[in-house]
Amino acid sequence: MRISYKIYIIIIIALLGAAGGITLFSEQKSYSPNENRYLEKYPKLSAESVMSGDFQDDMINALNDQFFKRDNFMQVSTELKKMLGYKDIGGVYLAKDGYYIEKKDEAQISQERYMQNLRYVQYFLSKQKGSSFTILVPSGCIVLKDKMPEYASSYDAEAMYKAAETVLSSSKLIDIRDSLKEAEKSEQIYYRTDHHWTLRGAYEAYCEYCKEMGIDKRKYDEFNVKEVCDNFYGSLYSKVLDREASPDKIYAPFCDSLANIKVTDDGKITDGIYNEKELKMKDKYSYFFGGNCGRVDISTGVENGLKLLVIKDSFANCFVPFLIDSYSEITMIDLRYYSGSITELAESGTFDHTLILYEMSNFAGDTNLYKLTEK
Amino acid sequence: MVFSSILFLCVFMPVVFCLYYICPGRLRNFFLLVASLLFYAWGEPKYICIMLFSTAFNYIDGILIEYSKKHDKEFMKKAMLVLSVIGNVAILCFFKYTDFIIKSLNDLWGTHFSLLGIALPIGISFYTFQAMSYTIDVYRGRVSAQHNFFDFAMYVCMFPQLIAGPIVRYEQVEGQIKERKITSGNVALGLQRFIIGLGKKVLLANQIGSLWDKIYTMDVSEISVLSAWLGAFAYTFQIYFDFSGYSDMAIGMGQMLGFKFPENFNYPYMSKSITEFWRRWHITLGQWFKEYVYIPLGGNRKGLEVQIVNLFIVWSLTGLWHGAGWNFLIWGLYYFVILLMEKLFLHKLLDKLPGIFSHIYSIFIIVVGWVIFACDNFDKLGIYIKALFGMGVSVVKGTDIYLCYTNAILFIILIFASTNFPVKVISFVKKKFMLKLKGFMLAFCKNIGFWCCAVFYLIILALSIALIIGETYNPFLYFRF
Repeated sequence: MRISYKIYIIIIIALLGAAGGITLFSEQKSYSPNENRYLEKYPKLSAESVMSGDFQDDMINALNDQFFKRDNFMQVSTELKKMLGYKDIGGVYLAKDGYYIEKKDEAQISQERYMQNLRYVQYFLSKQKGSSFTILVPSGCIVLKDKMPEYASSYDAEAMYKAAETVLSSSKLIDIRDSLKEAEKSEQIYYRTDHHWTLRGAYEAYCEYCKEMGIDKRKYDEFNVKEVCDNFYGSLYSKVLDREASPDKIYAPFCDSLANIKVTDDGKITDGIYNEKELKMKDKYSYFFGGNCGRVDISTGVENGLKLLVIKDSFANCFVPFLIDSYSEITMIDLRYYSGSITELAESGTFDHTLILYEMSNFAGDTNLYKLTEK
Repeated sequence: MVFSSILFLCVFMPVVFCLYYICPGRLRNFFLLVASLLFYAWGEPKYICIMLFSTAFNYIDGILIEYSKKHDKEFMKKAMLVLSVIGNVAILCFFKYTDFIIKSLNDLWGTHFSLLGIALPIGISFYTFQAMSYTIDVYRGRVSAQHNFFDFAMYVCMFPQLIAGPIVRYEQVEGQIKERKITSGNVALGLQRFIIGLGKKVLLANQIGSLWDKIYTMDVSEISVLSAWLGAFAYTFQIYFDFSGYSDMAIGMGQMLGFKFPENFNYPYMSKSITEFWRRWHITLGQWFKEYVYIPLGGNRKGLEVQIVNLFIVWSLTGLWHGAGWNFLIWGLYYFVILLMEKLFLHKLLDKLPGIFSHIYSIFIIVVGWVIFACDNFDKLGIYIKALFGMGVSVVKGTDIYLCYTNAILFIILIFASTNFPVKVISFVKKKFMLKLKGFMLAFCKNIGFWCCAVFYLIILALSIALIIGETYNPFLYFRF
């Protein structure tokens, strides 16, 4: 018995020590592709950082991030939580049909900020000479209600759209909820593993947009849509790290005008609106426009003289490709990264149309919309 | 450094225990002191001076008390005791209660004294109480003064029980400080106890704690009767598994080092009265107050009136010991009132009722108690208590049902784990299978049983590590103690 005890003690202590030793002395990783985030590295030792306790806090975090076989332990943690009957992990619902849906309930939405942001947009749009439109894309948890776990909560979309309708008197608010819900019955509107909408979802919004503009919409098939990737594990997968997740496919439209298109990102000329390289990376949604960029100018070669300004978040990146045949120039502004004066741009640009396109919860939480009111 | 961190589990623990076992017997106390100081300095690099000061102060005081006893200097002996008590209480009060007192004065009289902004040194309440138990017992002649400074410092600063108890009285480990036997059986059992404690903390307390966090931070408009009770039960389980988990880890590590620390919890939620609950909850604190406050004040030997006053004092102090806040005082007095009622008439009544009623009564009192304990501002407390009793809120909401069914399995595990049912099952199985066995077969089965358990503990350890790595929620609940 004594020998058993000794073997047991040695095994446990040795396992713990080995895990710690390997973690400390193996090469540090700076990025986790699986979790799609930068990892904490071991902090530099200094008397100051030790006395303030920063060193110790950073060290604890770094050890968690650098831990031996971290990905496997994370999966074990997810498995355990699933066994306990949890229906949300890391702020993501484990929904039906293999969907992961970001949890967006009242607690996560600041109504105050939302109203403030609406007022910023209203102020900006009231000064535009051309006609303006606003699309607030409903979050996955609003459209995919049927796929959510029983009794899982989400924010009150109805009230939020009503508020938007009231405040945004200078713009046409395009409510795409019904058409997305309708299309959802037969098509995949959101990625299962990512928080973005799919190309199909963006197409439904395009249809509604055309209706408002009075232009003829084209059929989905006419856009020459091709599958560009079939192994997309998106941002929601990264939060849950579920072994059972199956990957998404990404589709993109290839219209005729793509041949003549000129695109600049913040003034730099790029290859086009799609970035093949991103398909080899983790965040494959960045295929569209190579991710987010402060300002993108597209000169489409279409000769109708129409100019469009889009103020947007990443949800617009797979929506704008549908509009390429309808405008001769499109300027996309992402306020999070744009450092120029948006007011000046809008005044000098003589845009025929202005489109505000954000995902609802992104919009409600955005902290950059004040830039719309700055000189 | 908290026990439930990778740094402690995979770096500190293996290194310290390996070196400790290699260390020759004479040096072990000194090594343990150095390790403990490193452990404490990791979390409180500045406040280590206070702990060292407190150690030196009590060390000298103990020697002076012994000296005055030897030379029959009755006055000096008393003076030294008073100095020790005042000194310890003053240090504790300065760091723990100064800002609370200033703030209360400001609120009361509208004055504007500025707060000192003192951060509370972790574990100060635990080590101060341990050190006081030493000088008082030297005075009372229960223990002899410790002349070896390192041995004494090792007792005060020892890392297993330093930051979250149990409160080990000097008397309980006096002999073990000088000499202790380390057997592989004890180390193995200690290791198992540690892993169980870690599992309680990480797998149970942290999990249910995030439910409490969610409900506690809910907006007034969102809360309902059901969610309020769900939250209250979540906190009830969180604090038990967190606190008893810490105690298990401390006792386990103590055992691995060759010590025998006193038990701190004895299935408190199985109690059938509040009197019983306090005999089973944080046992070492209750005993400390009984030994060093209640009995010296006269206990129950001086008539009912004095006893009531004594109880009042003890429970006010118990409340305030848990944190410098009015809610802690109210929580203490809440128990004073209930314990007094039980003493006077309720206990007799409870005895007559079927067991299930007294059980429900106890759980009800305990759960409401934890709500008072957990809500550190009066607005929140008011809202929460109202919600518990259905005042101005709806009975049930959609989200509650979601929270209920997604936590149902966890709650079932928590209920079972907080009773002695698992232990009973194990001893039943042991009896059933081992009793008839003899000689070789018995040894063989014992070994098999041991290795089955060993695998179980290894799984608990691995799962705990997985959750520590994957979780952002890993709170240390005793920063106010």
